[in-house]
Amino acid sequence: MKKIFAAALAALAMLAAGEAQAQKKTLVIGMGSADAGKLDPHIASTTPDKGLLQYMFNGLVRIRPGQISPDTIEPDLAESWTSNPNGTEWTFKIRQGVQCHSGYGEFTAEDAAYSLKRAANKATSSYSNDFSSVDKAEAVDKYTLKVTLKNPVAGFLGYVANINGGNMVCKKAAEEMGDGFSKKPIGTGPFMFAEYQPQQFVRLVANKQYFRGAPALDEIIYRYIPSDSSRDLAFQSGELDMIYGKQDQSWVDRTKQLPGVKVIAMEPGEMSTLFLNITVKPLDDLRVREAIAYAVDRKSIVAFKGAGTSREAVSVVPSGYLGTDEHAPLFPYDPAKAKALLAEAGYPNGITVKSIHTTLTGMQTFLQAIQAQLKKSNINLDIEEVEHATYHAQIRKDLSPLVHYQAARFPIADVYLTQFYDSASIVGTPTAVTNFSHCNVADAEIRAARVETDPAKQKELWKTAQEKIIKAVCGIPVYEQLQLWAWKDNLDLGYDLKGSLNLAPPITEKTHFTK
Amino acid sequence: MTAFLIRRIGFAFVTLFAVLTLVFVIVRIVPGDPAQVILGDQASREAIEALHERLGLNKPIVTQYAEFLGNALRGDWGVSMVSGRPVMAEVLNVLPWTIELTVVSLVIGVALGVPLGVWAAVRRNRFFDYAARIASLLGLSFPAFVSAIILLFLFAIEVHWFPVISARSGSLSAWTQSITLPAINLGLISAAYITRVTRSAMLEVLSEDYVRTARAKGVPAGSVVWRHSLRNALIPIITVVGLYLSILIGNSVLTEIVFSRPGLGKLIVGALNQRDYTMLQGMMVIYTLAVVVVNLLVDIAYGFVDPRVKLG
Repeated sequence: MKKIFAAALAALAMLAAGEAQAQKKTLVIGMGSADAGKLDPHIASTTPDKGLLQYMFNGLVRIRPGQISPDTIEPDLAESWTSNPNGTEWTFKIRQGVQCHSGYGEFTAEDAAYSLKRAANKATSSYSNDFSSVDKAEAVDKYTLKVTLKNPVAGFLGYVANINGGNMVCKKAAEEMGDGFSKKPIGTGPFMFAEYQPQQFVRLVANKQYFRGAPALDEIIYRYIPSDSSRDLAFQSGELDMIYGKQDQSWVDRTKQLPGVKVIAMEPGEMSTLFLNITVKPLDDLRVREAIAYAVDRKSIVAFKGAGTSREAVSVVPSGYLGTDEHAPLFPYDPAKAKALLAEAGYPNGITVKSIHTTLTGMQTFLQAIQAQLKKSNINLDIEEVEHATYHAQIRKDLSPLVHYQAARFPIADVYLTQFYDSASIVGTPTAVTNFSHCNVADAEIRAARVETDPAKQKELWKTAQEKIIKAVCGIPVYEQLQLWAWKDNLDLGYDLKGSLNLAPPITEKTHFTK
Repeated sequence: MTAFLIRRIGFAFVTLFAVLTLVFVIVRIVPGDPAQVILGDQASREAIEALHERLGLNKPIVTQYAEFLGNALRGDWGVSMVSGRPVMAEVLNVLPWTIELTVVSLVIGVALGVPLGVWAAVRRNRFFDYAARIASLLGLSFPAFVSAIILLFLFAIEVHWFPVISARSGSLSAWTQSITLPAINLGLISAAYITRVTRSAMLEVLSEDYVRTARAKGVPAGSVVWRHSLRNALIPIITVVGLYLSILIGNSVLTEIVFSRPGLGKLIVGALNQRDYTMLQGMMVIYTLAVVVVNLLVDIAYGFVDPRVKLG
């Protein structure tokens, strides 16, 4: 009996080994979520969905694979583009002969125009706000797209790049399938949707007709594995070739020790900011807000989070964005000064500030560390912990005087400044985005910079805006958390990976296994 | 028998109806507008009203209730608010995974637990009894996700006998490979539970007069234990197995997550996190249905093992 059992196990083991041998052209990626959401590039807003959709879609232009800076923008579906001097009319020459997946025909200017309108439509897109300045998008001829803007838009090309609403869908497929499009997304990218197994994986196959050449890989299996430890174990056992890391330093240290593994902390950094509601007591007093800013020690937060995976914030806009003031005058750590300011403001015995916060681990430990720091300056942070979805709902209802928010945005200062500091974005108003602090001190500069066509002047306006916001202490930027990934070193991505705006490493036609 | 069944099924319907009503009410008194949740906080007034219309939330509450009941009975539970796929399809997709895991682990639990429990009762207060009791206490108090990680570490990493991602299908060998570790993980816990119940039920029966009589008249020891006693101890064991079956369906969530298997548990956790109201409604109905069906089966099983339960 024992012999039979052992023989059966050996046979099973050989079967498993055989499978591993045949997988050389299949890339298996382990993602940290339970299941796929709506697989529509104009709707998806989560890391797992965006990461997957980037393999299937192109933009009119793209940020060079592995980069995040808008400086690296290069042709994608559009071969070339021109604009009028004040940047309100853009003409894109669409590449000829690009084929939509699954026989949906050639991708033309007609599809591009349809795509932009779809991305601008509230009913079909989560990113309609990004396109509010688009007046018209029309196909002049089969390969010429003309986009007319109501006003100049800072970094307009970023909105038609291969991210969010800039992803180009095929008109015929989208119209034919309607709501069903998210079940079988059709794009023009190097990989095509093949199969979805609920709670297990999405399988993509190579698009042999891809306009940059047939991909070296045959297929991608994108597995949903919510448990961090299971993902790690499956990576160790060789069932996964690339994994989304647990987002902390100890994971990096542990994973780095595995043989034949590459670990990366990549851009963009998600910046943690403490937003202070400048309209409620006692935070309406500038001295109190300054006291809190003096009480935060960015250096020890980075030491706590891990120097290899995080870095200090430099301004109210994350570092490396177009327009970030990399040497902005942030408040230094000075608890004595903080206490003095509190006393001056009439609170010699300190204050209590309430914050509604999520129980999401990474964020939770951060705010607890901040709580301990503030305590030293007699500032009592009263954290009310709720589940993540509730946190998101309540902070948007203006219920939390101090809001901790972690975010990366398209790397142009305008996006961050507009969403978090323009008074039009104040939470609880009809045009609300994520201005939790009710900040209104830099509206003029933010709005002027948005339509400024001279890059030098625009940069100057953004710099002034950042200075004003820091001075008014609408937000206290603390640190930036990088994105952690690991993969087997026999996988050659085919480019140099510094970061990915779609939050997962791009897999291109060149990505392949070396052995 | 028929009358008994009809009465039981009637009860089951009443329970289901009560749960459906409860679900309907709960979802509507919970703070927050589902349309707002679906569309997000940046949604415009018109978009929210349009969605109310589509979801039928602007109709009178009585009409909504009637439609909800009607749809639920026809098996139409609407569309998941998050993924846009029909709730029924999502549930049916993963239901087989949960059922197979539950059944296989229960089989392991019974196959281990009943003999161990009987043996422990027979060897009362001797070494084996203590060993079995300590082992089962350990099994009961051990968190399922810890034992799952240990199993994976030993059998998938140290020796590559089984995959970490235990969700293969297609061939018998693939299926066996995937089900073994998760089923052992859950099976050991249910074995611990069943061992304890079997032991105490057996102890009670073993002290009965008729057992002494059987022994006195020279019935072989094995026959006394396995035929006379176990047969009479089965009622509490079946009750516990039945109860445990419903618990198992719910408890499998941790096992599903660690072994990366699809399943109902994962579905309901996801729906809770994302405020997927339609999905939650569907899940609550499914869980109620599971409990009701299991109880019905347990009731019927009583009739088979115990002639004192009259099914007439």
